[in-house]
Amino acid sequence: MSRAHSPLAPRTAPGRAVLMALTAATLLAVTVPLVWMLITSMKPRSAILTALPTLDFTPTLVNFQALFTGDSSILPYIRNSVVASLGSTAIAVVLGCMAGYALSIWRSRAKAQLSFWIISTRMAPIAAVIVPLFVLFRSVGLIDSIAGLMLAYLTFNLPFAIWLMNAFFAEVPASLREAAQMDGCTPLQAFRRVVLPCAVPGVVATAVLCTVFSWNDYAFAVAFSGPASQTLPMSAGSLITQTGVDWGQLCAIGLVTVIPMMVLGLTVRRHLVTGLSLGAVTGE
Amino acid sequence: MLAPAILVLAAVSVIPFVSLIVMSFSHVRLLGGVTLTPAGLENWTTVFGDPATWASWLRTLEFFVLAVGSEMALGFGVALILNALRRSRTIVFSITLLPMFLAPITVGLLGNFLLDPTIGLYSWLLRSVGLLAPNHGLLGQRETSMVAIAALDAWEWTPLIALIILAGLTSINPSVLEAASLDGAGFTRTITSVVLPSIAPILLVALLVRSMDAIRYFDIVQITTGGGPASSTWMISQQLQQKVQATSLDGVTTLIGQASVIGITMIAFSTIIANLFVRLLSKRERDR
Repeated sequence: MSRAHSPLAPRTAPGRAVLMALTAATLLAVTVPLVWMLITSMKPRSAILTALPTLDFTPTLVNFQALFTGDSSILPYIRNSVVASLGSTAIAVVLGCMAGYALSIWRSRAKAQLSFWIISTRMAPIAAVIVPLFVLFRSVGLIDSIAGLMLAYLTFNLPFAIWLMNAFFAEVPASLREAAQMDGCTPLQAFRRVVLPCAVPGVVATAVLCTVFSWNDYAFAVAFSGPASQTLPMSAGSLITQTGVDWGQLCAIGLVTVIPMMVLGLTVRRHLVTGLSLGAVTGE
Repeated sequence: MLAPAILVLAAVSVIPFVSLIVMSFSHVRLLGGVTLTPAGLENWTTVFGDPATWASWLRTLEFFVLAVGSEMALGFGVALILNALRRSRTIVFSITLLPMFLAPITVGLLGNFLLDPTIGLYSWLLRSVGLLAPNHGLLGQRETSMVAIAALDAWEWTPLIALIILAGLTSINPSVLEAASLDGAGFTRTITSVVLPSIAPILLVALLVRSMDAIRYFDIVQITTGGGPASSTWMISQQLQQKVQATSLDGVTTLIGQASVIGITMIAFSTIIANLFVRLLSKRERDR
């Protein structure tokens, strides 16, 4: 992609050299830990526990094999993570679309108060939310259940989805909806046939971010899940408490956990800035 | 259409919030079901009279300044770099974003590994340039543990700040920048007199978005130092966590009441940030 020359870009040869150096430094800072994680995941144990970090080893997939075979296979963890995060995301996005649309066309003084309440729910510290949920979940038997985790993830995914879909729907020109209604659509039909299709990229971005947030959760999972509902981040967390940490396996779990999220995240790259700034900033 | 979402949101937020308030005025017992007995202001006076609470708030503030401060500065720098790139921008940008998608727990574990005193890659690098004594790790020393945790946080979240600021930079009208350079303004002058003033609202958005998340998450601390060594990274979330796990002397009553008090003060803090955020947004909408 070629772009217009930014007036803030260097024009002289030394300036361009500095830019190249800074770009290289940024890329190194970002990628060295990631690449080291990848390398370590393919190292045999003996090549990891060296005082001098080494690149002299024969790549192996034993760490990955160990993750997927035997009694301590992480497959159940993956299943729990997928069900809990996709379930929570689906509920959040469906309800979020409806409420976000209603909010975007609503004109009332109460709207500001309602919006404020929704966003402050999203910002509530996880540690503070866990305490009452723990007590409530205990009294209704939701501890150690996937349903409990889904519900817990809704505490941040639902306000996020409502808030963000409101921002995406607000971008759809009101004239489109009015034209549809003029042509005889009911408000609900106008939403389903005209407004929602226009906001599909926003829906996808919202769904991806909800999935990433719940997939990456550790605090809620530690507080609420048990043997029947452990998630992928917990499988990593549990490895570190045992004596003699198996770094090769840990790095392998880290990769298995992050790669799907990186792929999902980069597919909605254009909408990331809107999503992660909670609709306050729109991208290119 | 609003009703279903509001009902669910009320169920997962209002009910817990109300019970948090009720519990903060109660002794909570968990043996054989949950029972509450009134405790008056006892939990509140205990928490606010405890120097450990204040110390943990102070450390939260220290973390906040270190982490969010460096993220803002580095994020601005990375955004300037990305903005100056042309053909390679998309690929460099995509790579730069990657750390954000890691689970915070993975970042913590990776930090443990890279900073391990004996086998850590970064410990070895720091040792080779004489910045670290043998068998010392940044996370294990009282003097450096907080800096190390802030650095891990900054590694994961600087991309987010860069992402937001870059959107701001690309929205500046190029003719304004051309005019500045025609008037003879150098790079530094252009940044301070043109760029920073025009992206001030976006910088504030980045700051607020990051601020609320900095107090939200505590996975990295939990998995790396657990609040240590010698409480040097013991922040408010650790203080709350400890109260949840603790049981008082009689062996039946829990300290969940005190944990609730801490939870409420944390929520009060995040509500202030949410308020600033909403005000900023509605001001921008009016200006448009």
